[in-house]
Amino acid sequence: MKTTWKDIPPVPTQQEFLDIVLSRTQRKLPTQIRAGFKISRIRAFYTRKVKFTQETFSEKFGAILDSFPRLQDIHPFHKDLLNTLYDADHFKIALGQLSTAKHLIETISRDYVRLLKYAQSLFQCKQLKKAALGRMATLIKRLKDPLLYLDQVRQHLGRLPSIDPNTRTLLICGYPNVGKSSFLRSITRADVDVQPYAFTTKSLFVGHFDYKYLRFQAIDTPGILDHPLEEMNTIEMQSITAIAHLRSAIMYFMDLSEQCGYSVKDQIQLFRSIKPLFSNKLVFIVVNKIDVTKPEDLDAETQEELQGLLKSNEVEMLQLSCNTQEGVQEVKNAACERLIAERVNQKLKAGTNNSGEVGGRLADVMSRIHVATPMGGQTLQSFIPEAAKNRKKYDKNDPERRKLAKDVEEENGGAGVHNVDMRADWILENPDWKYDAIPEIFDGKNVYDFIDPDIEAKLAALEEEEERLEQEGFYESDEDIDDEEAAEILAKAEVIEEQIALTRNEAKMRKTKLKNQAIIPRKLQKKKLSELDDALDRRGVDTTDIMERARSKSRPRGRSMTRSRAGTEDADAMDVDSTPRDRLRSKSRAQSRAPTTNRREDGVQDEATRSKVDRLAKLHQKKMNRMARQGEGDRHTTASLTKHLVTGKRGMGKTQRR
Amino acid sequence: MRIESCYFCGAPAYPSKGITFMRNDGKSFRFCKSKCHKNFKLRRNPRSLRWTKASRRRAGKEMTVDNSLLFEARRNVPVRYNPELMAKTIQAMKRVSEIRARRERVFYKKRMAGNKARELARAAKLVAEHEHLLPRIRGSELRRRREAAGEDAMDIEDGIVDEDARVVKQKSQVFGGEKKRLKVRVEEMAEE
Repeated sequence: MKTTWKDIPPVPTQQEFLDIVLSRTQRKLPTQIRAGFKISRIRAFYTRKVKFTQETFSEKFGAILDSFPRLQDIHPFHKDLLNTLYDADHFKIALGQLSTAKHLIETISRDYVRLLKYAQSLFQCKQLKKAALGRMATLIKRLKDPLLYLDQVRQHLGRLPSIDPNTRTLLICGYPNVGKSSFLRSITRADVDVQPYAFTTKSLFVGHFDYKYLRFQAIDTPGILDHPLEEMNTIEMQSITAIAHLRSAIMYFMDLSEQCGYSVKDQIQLFRSIKPLFSNKLVFIVVNKIDVTKPEDLDAETQEELQGLLKSNEVEMLQLSCNTQEGVQEVKNAACERLIAERVNQKLKAGTNNSGEVGGRLADVMSRIHVATPMGGQTLQSFIPEAAKNRKKYDKNDPERRKLAKDVEEENGGAGVHNVDMRADWILENPDWKYDAIPEIFDGKNVYDFIDPDIEAKLAALEEEEERLEQEGFYESDEDIDDEEAAEILAKAEVIEEQIALTRNEAKMRKTKLKNQAIIPRKLQKKKLSELDDALDRRGVDTTDIMERARSKSRPRGRSMTRSRAGTEDADAMDVDSTPRDRLRSKSRAQSRAPTTNRREDGVQDEATRSKVDRLAKLHQKKMNRMARQGEGDRHTTASLTKHLVTGKRGMGKTQRR
Repeated sequence: MRIESCYFCGAPAYPSKGITFMRNDGKSFRFCKSKCHKNFKLRRNPRSLRWTKASRRRAGKEMTVDNSLLFEARRNVPVRYNPELMAKTIQAMKRVSEIRARRERVFYKKRMAGNKARELARAAKLVAEHEHLLPRIRGSELRRRREAAGEDAMDIEDGIVDEDARVVKQKSQVFGGEKKRLKVRVEEMAEE
């Protein structure tokens, strides 16, 4: 439920109202109509204009009506407060007038829209529209007073303190000038005006404070004088409203010193007269200014009267002094404590139904709360065994004391000499075994890895398995291929492998001898006749005939020893083309033959020199390589040419000159 | 004291030998030699190095599944010393190691079972393809012999020399024993 109305938009005066609506109409629906337009179009336009104006009015009125609180919807406290402050009738009438105006405007609009349907010309339409808006304006003009009044109410409402009628509340009331505002100031941070004259506080003030992590509000009310309700003014009525409607702890302040200007009797009388308002509420009589007068200082009669107020048991008397701050916190705490207890009680009562069971929302909360007590509330007793209680305390000088390891050490020569017997405390089946030599390693294995209480059974199982395997023939070896034939093949293979290896090795050697030269094709390689002979001989070929033939065919170098005409004639050449001319011809013809010399070896006598030359060449190249310079052996790329100079169609000039 | 096995290669690391690395999570790594330690520091995986036990096991070169292997194990159950049990254990250790060795030998043999035939097949193929490389009686020698034998000995065949006293390596098949390489003269074997 709403407790504050700070966000009500301002209510415009009648003139402003009119301006707003009409200018809005003009802005949204500018007159864009000519005499030559179709009459239906003209009618439609003016109808729209009238309707739009009406809608704007309605909207505005609606907004104002909605923003103000409706008295039947708000809390009785606020309702009464509004009543006392602004006069509920006046308020209602103002709102009612607005509402009526809204209705009337709607009616006007409806009427004129109907009339507009029958308008015959632009002029008629315009006149009708003018009449409609004029009537609306007149209506608004009559609303001058209610609008003004509502704006004032709005301003005042915005400044009202936000009082929540349902939270924990301390309500401070009493005669004027008894120290109500001082108390509020001292328990909250509210900056209330405190002055030494009556009716300093003219309206309700609210301050907030925390007690036991709960938020409390304290409400300071204007002072009340003791006269009938009808005679009370607006200021006092606010107090009465607050006392009557708020569920709170009421703190009735009294000034026994009579510095406020009212006698104690008057104050007691006031309490009595407003007592009916305190029904179902916590009431405290708070005696202020005890630094001046305490209840005990009063004369017996007054004191008795005062005690009479407390008789009914529901009223409690508290004492404090705002001047010296004595008892302020105690009063606050006591009041808060009682208030909390009271509220919890009420809630519990509201939550329980007739049969005493907790139901509704309270039951939901209660079911979620579980208070745990350890051990079901039991407390454990510590148990000390008898033996422990009777144990003799260790005493060094006692001859019958326990012997400690330290003593043993002392007996055997002290620290550094005595070796602690680790085996002494071993627990074995037979204590004689304690000092046995225990093997740790056997056959390169850790004995401890094999120790197993059921090793016998396991070994027996293994033996059994072994026997079974033996019978199954697991250990019998297969027949090996071991005959003579196989041996022969293997032997042959070995010889062949060796031969292959030798050949391969030879080829490799040849390659290394080349020293980076190009490989001369086999076709062009020269081989001696003797090599051929040997190779064939080794293959078991009788080479006698072959050799003989080859020898007879070969021509010795230099001049032939046999005489011939030209001195170049071969002795045993076949006489095929026998004319000397032909023979000469064939001799003079160019012959394709393999290069006779190896350039690389020219000028180098032997292999050793050759190696040396190579080494030197490498050595000279070394520096250049190290500096990463270009050597003569490096690939050289010439500087690239500018593209436009070398490509494209030549127009004028030559390739070089462009 | 106990003989640890090397974390890396699986070889036994006897007391006072090798080096132990204690990682800060409490795991200890014993290395039998600096080679293993270095390789560990290089973050190499022992399984991917041919020379470790782990890689051999992975490749199926070792007997890994057998009842005789179940005897040696770290049992985390303390057993109190008892001389009888100790005696039994030592006896069992002897017997188990015997059985294990025997089975390992069989395992090895089974693993190598096809090798001989394969080798022979390869050799036969080689011989068939490269028969020309076999040493023959030299042509000149053949001629000499024929001449010496006269006209009637034309049937002396040229052929492959296989009666030469050549040494042939041959693996002996000793059942269950160590691998032995015997050098046997083929000639002599033929005579016997």
